[in-house]
Amino acid sequence: MDRECCWNRDVIEQADCPKVCAGEEDMLVSKLQRVTEKCSECAVFHAEMARVRDNGNPLVPLLTEVLSENRRQKNQIQSLVSFLDSKTLEMRFLHELGYVLQSSVDLDEVLSVALTAITAGKGFGMNRAFLLLCDREQGVLKGYLGLGPRNQEEAGQVWNEIVQNDMDLQTLAQNFRLNKLSAERAKFHDLLEQLTVPLDNKEHILIKALDGKRPIMVEGAFQHPDVPPELARLLGVDTFLLMPLISRNRRVGMIIADNCITHRTITEEDMHSLETFGFPVAFAIERASLYDKLQVELNRVTEAGKKLKEQQELIVRMENMALVGRITSSIAHSVRNPLMIIGGFARSMLKNSPSSDPKRTFIESIVAETRQLEGVLDEILNYSDSLYPTRDFWDVNQLVETALHDTADSMTAQGYATSYSPGHDLPPVYIDFKQLSYCLRTVLQNDINGIGTDLSIAISSQSGDDCVIVRIEDGSRLVSQTELDHLLVPFSETRDLGAGLGLALCKTMLEKQGIPFVAQADVHQGIRYTITLPTRKEEQP
Amino acid sequence: MSRLLVVDDEANIRLLYAEELKDEGYEVVTAASSAEATEKLQGNTFDLAVLDIKLKNESGIDLLQKLVKERHDMPVILCSAFSCYKDDFSAWLADGYIVKSGDLTELKQEIARLLAKKALKTKAEV
Repeated sequence: MDRECCWNRDVIEQADCPKVCAGEEDMLVSKLQRVTEKCSECAVFHAEMARVRDNGNPLVPLLTEVLSENRRQKNQIQSLVSFLDSKTLEMRFLHELGYVLQSSVDLDEVLSVALTAITAGKGFGMNRAFLLLCDREQGVLKGYLGLGPRNQEEAGQVWNEIVQNDMDLQTLAQNFRLNKLSAERAKFHDLLEQLTVPLDNKEHILIKALDGKRPIMVEGAFQHPDVPPELARLLGVDTFLLMPLISRNRRVGMIIADNCITHRTITEEDMHSLETFGFPVAFAIERASLYDKLQVELNRVTEAGKKLKEQQELIVRMENMALVGRITSSIAHSVRNPLMIIGGFARSMLKNSPSSDPKRTFIESIVAETRQLEGVLDEILNYSDSLYPTRDFWDVNQLVETALHDTADSMTAQGYATSYSPGHDLPPVYIDFKQLSYCLRTVLQNDINGIGTDLSIAISSQSGDDCVIVRIEDGSRLVSQTELDHLLVPFSETRDLGAGLGLALCKTMLEKQGIPFVAQADVHQGIRYTITLPTRKEEQP
Repeated sequence: MSRLLVVDDEANIRLLYAEELKDEGYEVVTAASSAEATEKLQGNTFDLAVLDIKLKNESGIDLLQKLVKERHDMPVILCSAFSCYKDDFSAWLADGYIVKSGDLTELKQEIARLLAKKALKTKAEV
């Protein structure tokens, strides 16, 4: 016997309706709710409706259609609810991601968060992701970081770990950065090394995606006309997603994501979600990079400020010392002349007085006292002289190039050709730049007055033990070693030798700084000057 | 007898030099300024000049440059209260440099050395 339909009863028992389940007891007392939610799916109800329709009730077809429409709408609502649920989850995730990204200016942290978000089940759930960054200086898009398992076994292990620990995105990212970043870098090192594409290679699919500023879903990679075979081989997957990272219209980098383990289809929906995610990531990466650069510049400025302060203090100290020097020098000069006159006349008187003169002892005392006072004056004046200009660490190349630049016009006018071969990785030298610059100029200018026909001067520099050696080889001045030695002695008859006078001054200046200056002459080959500049402060006299 | 020109703005120093150098057997002519020295040089021959670097309102170095140009055979000794001029490029035009002292031995030795050298040179040229 057919079961009796209960649709028109106000109150029913659980056993009366095959569709009302445990937990839905409210429906037993609500006819309307039962009809709208259960009857349209109930075979007993449909049999009842067929019977009524057969009895000629005209409302039955209408009722059937209404119930059918009701069921369709219900399904639609259910689908929308499920869509909204997924969007809510996505929104929550993006909110969390945005929060984490905004709170960090550390590039590695940002990158860890980005890649974790793409690969975490709670995020976009991709199996593997690679991050490439634009290197504007080198003009390339370059592999920087990879994240994901290399095989099924590793995947199972990692995903189990994530499920067991049930961590939020930030914790996952922190965990990755602290424990796995280096290992992942090493794991994908070879692959990342090969993921380098010149930014001007407009035909490459990665650059196309970057320039197009839109994600590209690559399917059938191994046969794809735009995908270089080496890229497909490198990734080892047929389907992957290219997501450009663009911030303020600037190309920041690229994310390549795939499902190399599960081979789950990457949907359009996945692509759009990742595109939304790409903007804050690109912005955060750029911000972190700029912060890094800012930090470097800040350190540089701080260092420069520190140095400037030291220099200022030094200048003030030097000015004070120079003032003291000028005052003592002036006083000493004022005292020396009268002292000289007193001492001179006393000596003169002493010389002309007979040994029996009783006043001779007094005159001898005057001579002795003036001699002592002259000694004191010498000390004071020597102290004034010792207030040298400051020395500091300087770049040898700058020193040589400055001297060449300063003498360029006169050298060219005289038909001289100069060349400079700088040594590699020269350390800074501790010198008085002004004096050294003067000496180099003098040596160069001195050579201009040379007498040979080979008008070339070759300068070179090279590192030595705690020093930098500068050599100046001049083929124009053909003199003997004796003549050259004569040129280097002050107060010799240098006036006959013209510019040779400058060389003696250079030698004195350099020796005062404890810098060896060697000049070797060859009557056939010219003169070779060797200046050995110290690289350490303590070596100074 | 060798003739010496002494240029110094201090009267007592001129007097001291004159007395001491005359004792050494030289004929000494003194001048208080560059202008006076130039005047005394005109039409006269001197075997050696002793110059102070710091003259009142002028520099003995300027006078030195003039002497080197016009009397290149005449040795010049610079005398100064400052030893720092010894390193001055332009001071190196002089044949000798003496820091002033009440003890004139060094000056006298330098004069004798330069005069002997000059005499040798003259002899060689003859």
